[in-house]
Amino acid sequence: MKQFLFLVAKTFFFLVLTAGCLDMIYTQIYLSSSNRGKVEAVFNGKPTQYDVVILGTSRANNHFVPELFEKKGLKTFNYGMSGSHLFETAMLLELMLERNYKIKTILLEADLSLSNEKRDEGTTARYLPYIHHSSVIANHFKTEKEFSLWYYIPFYRYLKYDSQIGFREMFESFIGKPTNHLNHKGYYPLPSKKGANMKNDYRRLNPLKNKYYEQIKQICKANNIQLITVTTPVCENVKGMDYFDKVTKLHPEIHNLENLVQGDNYFSSCGHLNDKGAHLFTQKVLLLFFKDK
Amino acid sequence: MFFNSLHFALFLPIVFLLFWFGFSKTKTVQNAFLLLVSYIFYSFWDWHFLFLLLFSTFLVYYTGIKIQDNVSAKSKSLWFWLSIILNVGFLGIFKYYDFFSVSFSNVLLNFGFKVSPITLKWILPVGISFYTFHGLSYSIDVYKSRIKAERNFIDYALFVSYFPLLVAGPIERATHLLPQVKTKRVFNFQQAKEGIFMIVWGLVKKVVIADTCATYANAIFDHYQSMNSLSLALGAVFFAFQIYGDFSGYSDMAIGISKLFGIELLRNFNYPYFSRDIAEFWRRWHISLSSWFRDYVYIPLGGSKGSKLKQVRNVFVIFLLSGFWHGANWTYIAWGFLNALYFLPLLLQNKNRSNIETITLKLNFDSFKTVFHILVTFTITCFAWIFFRANSIAAAFDYIKLLLTNGVFEWQYLANRRYNYEIIMLIILFIVVEWNTRTKQEPISGKQSMLKLIICIASLLAIGTYSDYKEFIYFQF
Repeated sequence: MKQFLFLVAKTFFFLVLTAGCLDMIYTQIYLSSSNRGKVEAVFNGKPTQYDVVILGTSRANNHFVPELFEKKGLKTFNYGMSGSHLFETAMLLELMLERNYKIKTILLEADLSLSNEKRDEGTTARYLPYIHHSSVIANHFKTEKEFSLWYYIPFYRYLKYDSQIGFREMFESFIGKPTNHLNHKGYYPLPSKKGANMKNDYRRLNPLKNKYYEQIKQICKANNIQLITVTTPVCENVKGMDYFDKVTKLHPEIHNLENLVQGDNYFSSCGHLNDKGAHLFTQKVLLLFFKDK
Repeated sequence: MFFNSLHFALFLPIVFLLFWFGFSKTKTVQNAFLLLVSYIFYSFWDWHFLFLLLFSTFLVYYTGIKIQDNVSAKSKSLWFWLSIILNVGFLGIFKYYDFFSVSFSNVLLNFGFKVSPITLKWILPVGISFYTFHGLSYSIDVYKSRIKAERNFIDYALFVSYFPLLVAGPIERATHLLPQVKTKRVFNFQQAKEGIFMIVWGLVKKVVIADTCATYANAIFDHYQSMNSLSLALGAVFFAFQIYGDFSGYSDMAIGISKLFGIELLRNFNYPYFSRDIAEFWRRWHISLSSWFRDYVYIPLGGSKGSKLKQVRNVFVIFLLSGFWHGANWTYIAWGFLNALYFLPLLLQNKNRSNIETITLKLNFDSFKTVFHILVTFTITCFAWIFFRANSIAAAFDYIKLLLTNGVFEWQYLANRRYNYEIIMLIILFIVVEWNTRTKQEPISGKQSMLKLIICIASLLAIGTYSDYKEFIYFQF
């Protein structure tokens, strides 16, 4: 039995050792990758000075065209991320400042995302490789239930989120295979889709006094960053359209731009403009907020 | 509580330590403890069904004694049939009643009578197919005087409910397991070490091979209408490795876990995809079920004796039963039927036992022929798996039609956000490892076992699939 317990202990030791080694290798690879995603680009890229940084969910990612800002001489990047919530948006902004990014204006899309304070599993995963290398990330996750597992158990985070930061992603980062996330300065154009779902129901959604939105406001104030918060368009056939009125009632500083582009021909799906719609929307946004630039 | 869950990773060491350090003094204490643990393990699934397991156990135990104690053949027969009918009855009600009810109403509909089927929609108790078959084989063996009825209830209950095999087999025989249960187990380092290696290898098969293949197989089967011929062909191959890794991985873990408690279970898989014909495949795939059907159905029906017509009938009976055992769906029956068709030419030419010896390859024509036969057998097996995996017979035929008519053989991007070729290297590597270990039960033991163990651990950590967690396929049966 002694011999067996020794074998088990040895196996366990090898398990921990292997996990530790793999953790080190994966983390090192992610620390030197900057062409696969926005989080990697912020963490590993050179600190940049921006006139405008666009933040938010896919409804920012697919709606704001930085090239149109740049035509006006505004150095802009769209850091909107599909699937993300305000939890991750706040963290990304903090991370940018930690990495010495200089930002004059933040254009924040905050509408449907105001209705929850949860984190998004998929987007969360993109930050986890850097949990030991950024106090912003570590602090932001500190209150999460799984924080201790992510932080103290070697390789656990890569195991848990293997589809986002597991072997395949690590390998592609290692060989430097780029993704399209950083093309078009972060904007992801959507095509028009035949038979796309052009209806939605927001009746069960209610905007909150979202703590991460409040956090973004505070960060901007503390760092002298101009914050422009907007809602973005949705298709015509939506039940519970009064959601956007509730947003502006609760947060009077938010500009309701839901109506700025109308007509389903400008949409790829009910919540997302197509490329043509995004161009039209961006031009109108520029006229509204950056007329003098 | 799955073998590949964190709960089980805590459960097993606790049970192991308690067993050897607290409950190993006598055989009775050992068995009572393992029985209690087995019931706790089963309760994690659904404690309500524990009563069904207990009732089924007691029924077979009691009728077994009655079969043996009664002197008259008539009384023996009466108790025997009572045991069989009740056992099969439970299985029938829980597993097959709804299927028959719906099928019957469909048949009536074809004759113009519209009848709404009365369905129970009961949840299938986990492991019912396995523990029922334990009970059936025991009753038959007692009735046929192959074994004596077990009078110690704890020993008998442990034979039926032993936790490593309770929910998905291997289907044990009383002749093999009961003698081990009736002897006090002494800790054996070599056996326990083999157990650890089998558990680790089983985990690799499940988490690295099966679950990874599953993401691809599901992406293809669930969207087969938009897949090209190459993806559809690969889909069948991926599913073949998914189900093999899943079930043989589970069996390896069950055998390994049992070794830790000093009990040897029957081997369930013997590298089936290296079979040279379908008869050999069935001697290597789910061995405990195939041999169960062989011993308790095929041979009593006459087996390969009697007229050719009778032999053909017997073959179809066992393959259809085997298909039906897997689930109440026509797809499983079609899968069984297809395998019977594959088997038929071998039976008619008396070649169904021609590939018994271990495969050895050299650089000659015979070896080339062997590889060719292995590939043909694997191809037809994959073809049959399409029926097993498809949601309906119509979907299986659609899948095959598209596979044969689409004619496009290009790499395709799948719904799981992967290209259809990305997993091929992993499968090839797995085949190479299996080929090199085909004379053993697992690849870790032998020379450099520690290094191989570390490689397995690293592969488990690095290339296992965790975020897309999959239950063991055979739990549903």
